[in-house]
Amino acid sequence: MKRALLALPILLLAGCAAVTKIAPGETTVGERLVVKLDGAWNQINVQNMRPAQLWTMEGIYVDQFRLYSGIKDGQAIHPTGGNASQKSFNFRSNMQPDEIAGLFEGMLTRDGSRFTLARLEPVAFGGLPGFRLEYALIRKADNVQLSGVGYFAVSRGELFAILYMAPRLAFFQRHVGQVEQIARSAQVKE
Amino acid sequence: MRIESLLRAGCALLLASLLAPGAAWPQTRNRAEGFDALPKNARLVVMPIDIELFSISGGGVLEPKADWTDAASKHLKAALDAKEKSLDVTAVELSEKDADEFDEINALHGAIARSIALHHFGPSMYRLPTKDGKLDWSMGEPVRAIRDRTGADYALFTWIRDSYASTERQIANVAIAILSLGRVIPLGGVQSGYASLVDLTTGRVLWFNALARISGDLREAGKAGETLDKLLENFPDSK
Amino acid sequence: MKRREFLAAGCACGTLLAGAAAGAEWQMPARLARPELATEEGGLWAMMDRAEVQLRRSPFTLRDPKLHDYVQDIACRLGAAHCPDIRVYLVQTPLFNANMAPNGMMQVWTGLMLRVDNEAQLAAVIGHEIGHYLARHTLEHLRDVKSRSAFGQFLGLFGAAGAVGQLALLASAFAYSRDQEREADQIGVVLMRGAGYDPAEAGKVWDNLLLEIQAKPGGDPSRNPMFATHPSEEERRETLLRVAATAPGGVNNEDAWQQQTAPFRRQWLKDEVKRGQHEESLALLTRLIVHSPTRPEYFYARGEVYRSRAGDKDLDSALADYQSAIGLGGEPPETHRGLGLIQRQRMHAAEAKESFRRYLDAMPDAPDGPLIKSYLELLAQ
Repeated sequence: MKRALLALPILLLAGCAAVTKIAPGETTVGERLVVKLDGAWNQINVQNMRPAQLWTMEGIYVDQFRLYSGIKDGQAIHPTGGNASQKSFNFRSNMQPDEIAGLFEGMLTRDGSRFTLARLEPVAFGGLPGFRLEYALIRKADNVQLSGVGYFAVSRGELFAILYMAPRLAFFQRHVGQVEQIARSAQVKE
Repeated sequence: MRIESLLRAGCALLLASLLAPGAAWPQTRNRAEGFDALPKNARLVVMPIDIELFSISGGGVLEPKADWTDAASKHLKAALDAKEKSLDVTAVELSEKDADEFDEINALHGAIARSIALHHFGPSMYRLPTKDGKLDWSMGEPVRAIRDRTGADYALFTWIRDSYASTERQIANVAIAILSLGRVIPLGGVQSGYASLVDLTTGRVLWFNALARISGDLREAGKAGETLDKLLENFPDSK
Repeated sequence: MKRREFLAAGCACGTLLAGAAAGAEWQMPARLARPELATEEGGLWAMMDRAEVQLRRSPFTLRDPKLHDYVQDIACRLGAAHCPDIRVYLVQTPLFNANMAPNGMMQVWTGLMLRVDNEAQLAAVIGHEIGHYLARHTLEHLRDVKSRSAFGQFLGLFGAAGAVGQLALLASAFAYSRDQEREADQIGVVLMRGAGYDPAEAGKVWDNLLLEIQAKPGGDPSRNPMFATHPSEEERRETLLRVAATAPGGVNNEDAWQQQTAPFRRQWLKDEVKRGQHEESLALLTRLIVHSPTRPEYFYARGEVYRSRAGDKDLDSALADYQSAIGLGGEPPETHRGLGLIQRQRMHAAEAKESFRRYLDAMPDAPDGPLIKSYLELLAQ
């Protein structure tokens, strides 16, 4: 293989459909996050993206829309039980916005990818006080240069977040409008 | 690098390709909607071929073989030149050095190609419902940088990875097959690759073919031609 | 042991030292010609050439012409007659590493440039790598198929430049032998002297690196990219110091080095802090502070590491470091952000407000400006 694709989603190969369609309209992510879609998305069933759900428009090697719902205190924002010597990125309920941003930056750069923060601002998300993140990421596995945007909020000690990234050439602009609209529509239920 | 770890490393292209039927696709599968043929005398730039050939040692270790790769590169280039002539298109040269300028586009194309190979040509469970079964990917206007630089209207990207079992490995393979009473057929070598035709004005991927099989030999000119034919199967004519 | 005695005897031959075979004088070989493609060597050469194309194009490669030319010049003077064959690439990876392939391509990682104090120390490492190249150790080693595969991966055929994920593979499949290490050390010192550098600096580099790695609980040198391919040995430090003693003198060009790397230091420090390897970073930064006690950016960076680790007394340590940076003047604006965040956490509202204001004033275009502004507004209520 041209590059080691270790950083990219490893697909579940056994049994059931790996990709399902998310139809336009309301959909619930986890137990408490409700979003409203104007257009359909594709949901990918993957091992190594948990606890996030993974959606995509152009395919997993191109764009990734990760949705996190109800991440608990002490829970890792990535799958665990792999390389024991690798650092774990765990959410803590008392984390401040700058710390949560740092947590995701750390997770995204575990494989040596290069992260640059473009913007970090307070914003309402899911009907809660939250924050929004814009960043650039150079993916180590294949040198693709990505743009990213994320929305985060904490409710009852649990983290809710959506994170979208796509190549900065053409692709990010193509779909980010939908992502922003989804962000605006998001509701975290009590 | 062992084949098993290559597969474990999430090389979905290889794996998905192996699981796919591998038979010839219907023509529609390879083409974007509404694309039928290249205009006569279309200017086509062949992006530097991305190719690597490996030998598989007795222990299953993949070892890059530069002389095979070099030979294969030359054979493919010759076969592509011949193809271009038969297609009635105007070839435009692009040196490796010039290609440096387009590295971001190249890297991006690689990611798109992997996506297409997996989600369009791979097993049906990986299809993306929103694509509706169509070859519907576009790199958008950034590709115009290549058009402006080379004067070409279309670009052809090719990527090939190929491995060949060394003699020890072949012997080992036979032994495994015999010992398992035919239940285990180890891989002698796998040829995987893709060819992709991109419109340099719109960025649309007009035509794409994914190749995966356990035969073919790029090390010799005659056989390389056969591989290229397979890779460029259903390549659009010019009208 | 013969070699040790030889060296201990205070060899009077000046810059000519014993090669791998005791008693034989090492002489600079003629320039290496490109081998036939079909040969083993030729195959490796071509493999490196392709890796070099990727390196040249990689977004991780640092392309600043001035810095590049400066390091290229150092490599050139060390390589002497081989200068035209050496091509330097600076790679943005926050680890200590340099590496030279048999085709003349040399990688120098930014983590190495952060860690060396002067030109002579960089020359020691680069000279050592040129030593492997001149003595053709890599080729010797790559006759083994597993090594070839591992090395290919390391160079970037299977991963982007500066890949850090293949350490275990390297250690098991590709490490240079002890004899090769000794030879490269010795050639490196000869090259250093030839270029006018003080060989005494060579021992310090490896020492410093080992100290840093051992600062981490359970720190295993073989998991560091440099040590994975260059197994460290105790006698190395002694050897290098003894060798240096036989041929004293030479420059270290610390001023030039500090001046040329100054524009990049803050970014490299930031990359180091982002590694999240607290103990290693603290060991490194403390050493840098001892060496250069008037650099506010070192105190700022160490403060960030303490704040990130947030152990028992760490926040107090962070505060102290931030204050030291400010005391020196010319501190990075982010120092005030770090200070403000701790003060905010401790509910020292007035101080936090002041710190955040200073941060925003000094860096009005800070990416996290809007967030910090919101913290400020909340505190004002």
